[in-house]
Amino acid sequence: MPNKRAQWKSCVAVAALLAATPAGARAADAGDWPMYGHGYDNTRFSPLTEITAGNVGKLKLAFAFSLGSLRSNESTPIVIGDTLYVSSSWGPKFVYALDARTGAMKWKYEPDIPDDVLQYACCDVDNRGVTYADGKIFVGRLDGHLVALDAKTGKELWDTKVVDYTQGSVITSPPLVVKNLVITGFGGGEYGVRGSLQAYDINTGKQVWKTWTVPGPGEPGNDTWKGDSWQHGGAAPWLVGSYDPKTNTVFWGTSNPGPWNAAVRSTGTSDYGKLTNLYSASTLALDADTGRIKWYVQDTPEDAWDFDGVNEQVLADLKIDGQTVPVYMKADRNGFFYVVNRDTGKLISAEKYVPANWATSVDLTTTRPVEVSSKRPTADHPAKDVCPNLIGGKNWQPMSYNPDTGLVYIPSNNVCMDWKVSSVKYRRGVFYLGGEFPPVPGPDGYLGELIAWDPVAHKQVWGIKEDLPFNGGTLSTAGGVTFYGDLHGIFKALDAKTGKELWSMNVGSGVGAGPISYSVDGKQFVAVVAGRTVSLAAFVGGIGEKMLAATPEGGTLFVFSE
Amino acid sequence: MRPLTQGLRAHGRRLRGKAGLSLLLLTSFLALHPARAASGSEAVRPLRLCADPTDLPFSSSQPGTPGLYIELGRALARSLGRPAETVWQLTYFGPRSVRTTLLAGLCDAMIGLPDDPDFMGPKLIFSAPLMRIGYVLATPRSHPATTLEALKGRRIAVQYSTTPHSVVGARDDMTAVTVLEPDQAMQALAQGKVDAAFVWGPVAGYMNRTLFHDAFALTPVSGPGMTWPVSVGFSRRDAALRDQVNAAIPQLRPVIAALLAKYGFPVDASAASASAAPAASPVHLAAASGAAPAQSDAAPSPAAAAAPAVGGAAVGEGHDLFNGTCAHCHGVDAVTTERRINLRLLQHRYQARMDEVFFYTVTHGRPSKGMPNWSGVFSQADFTKILAYLHTIQASE
Repeated sequence: MPNKRAQWKSCVAVAALLAATPAGARAADAGDWPMYGHGYDNTRFSPLTEITAGNVGKLKLAFAFSLGSLRSNESTPIVIGDTLYVSSSWGPKFVYALDARTGAMKWKYEPDIPDDVLQYACCDVDNRGVTYADGKIFVGRLDGHLVALDAKTGKELWDTKVVDYTQGSVITSPPLVVKNLVITGFGGGEYGVRGSLQAYDINTGKQVWKTWTVPGPGEPGNDTWKGDSWQHGGAAPWLVGSYDPKTNTVFWGTSNPGPWNAAVRSTGTSDYGKLTNLYSASTLALDADTGRIKWYVQDTPEDAWDFDGVNEQVLADLKIDGQTVPVYMKADRNGFFYVVNRDTGKLISAEKYVPANWATSVDLTTTRPVEVSSKRPTADHPAKDVCPNLIGGKNWQPMSYNPDTGLVYIPSNNVCMDWKVSSVKYRRGVFYLGGEFPPVPGPDGYLGELIAWDPVAHKQVWGIKEDLPFNGGTLSTAGGVTFYGDLHGIFKALDAKTGKELWSMNVGSGVGAGPISYSVDGKQFVAVVAGRTVSLAAFVGGIGEKMLAATPEGGTLFVFSE
Repeated sequence: MRPLTQGLRAHGRRLRGKAGLSLLLLTSFLALHPARAASGSEAVRPLRLCADPTDLPFSSSQPGTPGLYIELGRALARSLGRPAETVWQLTYFGPRSVRTTLLAGLCDAMIGLPDDPDFMGPKLIFSAPLMRIGYVLATPRSHPATTLEALKGRRIAVQYSTTPHSVVGARDDMTAVTVLEPDQAMQALAQGKVDAAFVWGPVAGYMNRTLFHDAFALTPVSGPGMTWPVSVGFSRRDAALRDQVNAAIPQLRPVIAALLAKYGFPVDASAASASAAPAASPVHLAAASGAAPAQSDAAPSPAAAAAPAVGGAAVGEGHDLFNGTCAHCHGVDAVTTERRINLRLLQHRYQARMDEVFFYTVTHGRPSKGMPNWSGVFSQADFTKILAYLHTIQASE
């Protein structure tokens, strides 16, 4: 039975998309999954209602497609009309265009990624998907290039070098297209980069604007860094952005600052005063046309725990105290769930969504966390049993928001850590002391949890405990179903209101990517990419070994329907 | 963005860019005397060593400049009666590169890993230490530093994220000038952009020797996170090979000493200094090192403050050399009306850095300004004499 409210909502969503799509673009269809987070709001909410909580138990495999690449497959496919576009890991090694109904391949793009990329890439060889706009497919690559392909043929239209991968910088996330601009960040904070966000002309690939996420001399915020530490400050925006067409604002999160020793870039204590290291571990609100930073909310000032602030900003209009407030919601690495007025930048609430003990609360007026001093590590003072672990209360795996239930579905981690200075680190013949973060399981014996979170009441409504951390992103649908895959490779459908498991399928390798749903010729499909991480496990010791042992590496797109 | 530099490592990186896949598994096969059974049919398995191809002074895939660990690896292989092979892998992410090569069975040993059980132990095991290496304070010879306190108010080049970065960066009474690679710290020193470089000793020593003609005094530093023993690393499966290597190390001591001298690796401070570091300062500097820093014990330390003491005869010879060549542009007796090439103003212009600016300039030239590189024409001794002469004619304004 069609859900009228969901249909109306999807019309509004489509209208918003149309308002922001470049001239000459095809009209977005309610059956599409047009971009990484479904829409500029990153809600990952599908308005489709053919599949419901009542009938999802009948879901069966429509087709599978091998991505031709193992290891860390994190791609969210996108669907425009009857074509599905999906990327693989390793570069990406491949980008495919498939018939969204049958999986038949229409074209494939196989870029020339240098073989030595892994020797420079800080983390894993993942790619989280591609972006469509104006008849073109945009791909960010591990070698620091951004390319535009003809969406019909897969042929390269332009190729721009965004950043030099030999400085440790890679692109792993899909760019954001706003009007005639393709906006991308890059990663690599481990190697002393200075982060930036940059926009390129959709037709030519020429740079239109570039905004440093660590301000330089003369720019506001430069004096929040001690000495010359801003030059290698990190704050890389390596995940995805969101966009609000109403205010023409792009939202993007930034990574942690470097180096590990906070005393060289700030005071090294909880009394950082002005030396907060902007704009690291923050959400930035930027003018889409110029890249100018309008305002920011910093989640972790003078970060000492590796709490990247890159997690996605999910845009929604929430009913708070009788008012409808336009917000962004962010489940930050640091264990706090932020609700911020996205028009004004005012912090509305920040509450712990996982066990977190490095701070007791966040002061809503100053936005500063109230730290627990014994949990702030310094070169002279290690810290024990700090929660959450550096992998965060949530990592890159996307959450989703269901406006019908009013709940946010968060793939969360319950891992803590000790922090100390290592006895030796090694790089290129040079030895030095560095920070070390051996993991410790979180309280109560589970390492992950699918949390259904009420962002207005700021409390957990239900949760599915998992024995492993780093489980897959979530999909919410107007049919009342929440989908996600775990690190054991079990892809599940849950009742969005109660969390009751309604259906599951073993997809053979751990799932990190977010599932999607789309419809072609009136038939609804649910799709997910399976293929677990490799590199991340190295950061979490014995827990990492369990993660690797749970399933083999994989690289397959699974598409289900009834 | 990391600045471009003429340094060794950046040069290696640019070369690496052209090689691609071939570099990853490039083997340099140095079969010497493969042992053969009397029947003549059996070849000895090569000793495969993992190394970073663009990492002078430690290792390099350029045949003319192999690096200390490559030369040591060849000597080690010889003493084991096996040919040496190299498996190349960049080591920007040290433990990961060890995991993907040594622990994956792609090579048998890796020279130059820190001998510390916390470093990837228990998966990694180590030979007996080959040497001890650590950080040094590099300063102009006219101003060797005997304490870190002497550098208060000064600019000190440090490599990002290293122990010296932590020491200097945490202080408010000196200025850290942060670079991404250690050779950039020495370049900054040579260009007068900093007053000292607090940097990894082997890189400082090698550059001092090969690029800067020993223009700088290198003072080894001891203290937490400043020096470590260096060993050969093996997978824990290869305890038998580790034992063979340990048995070979005593005979290799002379080779190691010779290589340390050849590459200019500074002497370990903790060998020279007393056991207890003063509690007040985490950094304890050894006595200023001698003119040949790579040799252990022996060399007397020069007088701290003044230019190197040189006899009157040297000044006269320097005067002759100057007027024979330099005067063509700089004027007889360095008298000239052109201020910018007036060498009587060197002291005024560069003060304590006069000597190393001189040495750097004559050995590099300033091509855009018409000053040649004279290294092919004059010897180190010639330069020293010319400098001695110049010191006697500096303007006293």
